[in-house]
Amino acid sequence: MEAVNIQFAPETGTEEEWNEAYARLADYFRSYQLHNRIRRTQLILETLRRAAAAHKLDTKRTPTAHSIEEARRMLKEWLGAIYSDMNLNESQLEAAGRLGFHLSGGPARWPNFFLDKDNLSQEMMEAMRSAIRASGPGMQVSKMTPRDMDLGIVSEVAEDTFDRLGRHPILRYAILISIVGAVLGYLYLLLR
Amino acid sequence: MSVIGAQTANINATAGMPPPRIARMRRATFFSFVGLGTIVGTWLMYAFLSEHGMRWSEWALLAVFLPLYYQLNVGFWTALFGVWLMNRPKPDSLNLWRTLKPEDHDADITASTAIIMPVFNEDVTRVFEGLRAIYLSLEQTGHSKNFDFFILSDSNQTSQWIEEETAWLELCRQLNAFGRIFYRKRRKPINRKSGNVSDFCRRWGKRYRYMLVLDADSLMSGNLITSMARIMEKNPGIGILQTFPKQIGAETLLGRVMQFAQALYGPPFMAGLDYWQCGEANFWGHNAIVRLEPFIKYCALPPLPGKEPFGGHILSHDFVEAALMRKAGYAVRLLNTNRGSYEEGPPTLVDMLKRDRRWCQGNMQHFWLLFAKGWHPMSRVNFAHGILSYASSLLWFLFLVFSTFLAATPLPHVDAQAVRAEQILLGVTAMLIFLPKLTILLDEIITGRLFKPLKLRLLTFISSMADTVVFTLMAPVLMIFHSQFVVYTVLGKGVRWVTQRRKLDGGVDWAEVFFTFWGVSIIAVIWGTIGWFVSHSFFLWFCPILVSLLLAIPVAIMVSGRRSGLRFGLFLTPEETDPPSVLAMMNDNLTEIKGRIHLPPELEKHHGLLQVCLDPYVNGLHVSLLRRRKSIDVSRSYLDEIAKRLIQQGPQALNAQEIKAMIHDTETVTDLHYRLWSARDHELAPFWATAIRQYNLAASSPFTHTLAQREPA
Repeated sequence: MEAVNIQFAPETGTEEEWNEAYARLADYFRSYQLHNRIRRTQLILETLRRAAAAHKLDTKRTPTAHSIEEARRMLKEWLGAIYSDMNLNESQLEAAGRLGFHLSGGPARWPNFFLDKDNLSQEMMEAMRSAIRASGPGMQVSKMTPRDMDLGIVSEVAEDTFDRLGRHPILRYAILISIVGAVLGYLYLLLR
Repeated sequence: MSVIGAQTANINATAGMPPPRIARMRRATFFSFVGLGTIVGTWLMYAFLSEHGMRWSEWALLAVFLPLYYQLNVGFWTALFGVWLMNRPKPDSLNLWRTLKPEDHDADITASTAIIMPVFNEDVTRVFEGLRAIYLSLEQTGHSKNFDFFILSDSNQTSQWIEEETAWLELCRQLNAFGRIFYRKRRKPINRKSGNVSDFCRRWGKRYRYMLVLDADSLMSGNLITSMARIMEKNPGIGILQTFPKQIGAETLLGRVMQFAQALYGPPFMAGLDYWQCGEANFWGHNAIVRLEPFIKYCALPPLPGKEPFGGHILSHDFVEAALMRKAGYAVRLLNTNRGSYEEGPPTLVDMLKRDRRWCQGNMQHFWLLFAKGWHPMSRVNFAHGILSYASSLLWFLFLVFSTFLAATPLPHVDAQAVRAEQILLGVTAMLIFLPKLTILLDEIITGRLFKPLKLRLLTFISSMADTVVFTLMAPVLMIFHSQFVVYTVLGKGVRWVTQRRKLDGGVDWAEVFFTFWGVSIIAVIWGTIGWFVSHSFFLWFCPILVSLLLAIPVAIMVSGRRSGLRFGLFLTPEETDPPSVLAMMNDNLTEIKGRIHLPPELEKHHGLLQVCLDPYVNGLHVSLLRRRKSIDVSRSYLDEIAKRLIQQGPQALNAQEIKAMIHDTETVTDLHYRLWSARDHELAPFWATAIRQYNLAASSPFTHTLAQREPA
């Protein structure tokens, strides 16, 4: 990537729009935990230039949208170069690649190499490649099937009863109310 | 890690299974005492009631009295046998610790063990800091290389799920434990916790010889874990080895009283249980090690006949798994442990009742299994005791109802024999209730098992008196609720699977307490009025119960508060005065996290969702962990529409199902990340606009939100 050149004069879009795109890119690259401000500024400017070129061709989309899209494109190109022989599909490449950069301590160790596909650190590449993790060990599938259980005659009778009661909720509550009623009635008789 | 076979060589295959002769003799002794106590009590009751012949209400009273008295006797004799075992000079011949020789403690553990922790919407910080403490404690033993950790998540709240993923990654990074700690999230949480464990067994069970099961609030020391693996190696006849998890971390009065009671009375009860349960002990579902091969082969749970709540999926799976393991010929043993195995209890009375409701339903389901063929008789006894532990509340309630009837139709007791029977019964019952407690207290004061300093022993004595007051006030309230739970279960009113609250967030919820307990106080007023009209002497006899019921609301508020007597030195436990290193480590880390910077409440509430959408690393992690599927359950346009709504209206505009559908799809999650960052401020919901501005300010690293920051090993 070229040395910092702060000249930026987009041919399309308003100043307000580009300022908003700048602020968004600043937040976006900060979310990558890039604490090196000079590097962040470099990246923002480079992305804005690419976004300005894209906006010239498609003014319907906002500079912010173009900026994030360009940042994504740069990320994909960069990760593609790092994981070129690892047979990852597009979403795997993006997801695992970002994670690999974090796990290898990339934001703190190699901020100057971030998104710079023409200038890849061998050490960073090795670290990022070895950081792709899986969440579980290889499966060794077993069968775990319940065995038949003979619940006995009492359970059969109980099952029938509960099944019948289950089909007739009114009957169920009627039985309960009768019991409570009988108890209260008996109490009334005693206290009369 | 190498995969090791499931058989242990050169050791008697039945080692660990107590000899039948000893088991028979112990049970004959124990149940003779229990039987004798029950018969004597029932006979005394009969002698008292039958002075003028038996009326139906007296028969009914006697019928409910019998199981209640049996239960009282079981508790009494278990405690007394326990105290005797703890004090006799000759060690118990069945004590499993004796199977380990001094040199065994330094030997390598070659058996592969999976330490699993099923979680369901639990406090992520507590789960992972607990796991970190266990992991490091195990590392300190120098014998951790064949132990792997699995977090098995069934969490259905999106933010919780994402936070679990980030905490897992950060923990692995900090501990350099990739390939040792694994995270698995089930897409469909079929059959709840037992289904989660079975799923683990089906997928990875063959890789391991043992499985150590933890609860989300469990904490175990590395020394105990390695000892358990060694005991299992030495005793191939053991299928399940259960430890006694002591309660820790309580902050409320209820929690600390329960914690204290468990620390003081627990060990003798456990020793007593071990005495008569022998090789047919129970499995409590966590803080236990399981021999995986027979577990996979024999312990799969069949659905019960009928529909939930009484039938269907087995809720209290642990008792059934223990019975199945025993049926397969393996012993289920209780390991007498004083330190090293911990769990947390519910903080408030309402939380305790919610947990009891679930346990009650689970135990009542075991009714079906009581009469099933093939069980070891002791497994039936265990099922029956489980059922009785809740049904006894209903029996006690009925006992009081019948007593009210009898008080309404009094017959004079003039016969000297009946009067004497009544007096003896009263004395014996008081002895059955209070003697175990007094004996255990006396044992503590003399031996100083919990505390050596005399001052602490005296405080233990005072605390024990105080806990009697608390339990006396709570017991009638629990009776009413447990009775209600039993009736609800029989009537078909089931419970939902909800997350257990383990810490009191903020203060006591007065409204919740009022709406939970007002009915109990009304019962007290009605019953008291009836009792007063029935008989003044009955009313006085009944007063302690009525007062407890009447005071249910203030008592619930009092016990749920943070004024727990700690400043007076009451209800202290050894874990509070001298925390074991594993607990101290976890507490230090939890304290550090409490001091971290918080985002605005709305952002904190949806923090996981916010991270997965905005943070490139969290987004990458989530997409990497999602299983790629060829087809999705819902249409792309539907996912696109809800993603649009999420961006424009914020997370509150989506229901849980919609968020879940979106967050399960790799393409949508990746796309969402870019769509959010691409949108202009005015196109975003205020939630996202604030989140984008504030997110980078609060998080120094996206993965440290839930964990203490420790430098990688």
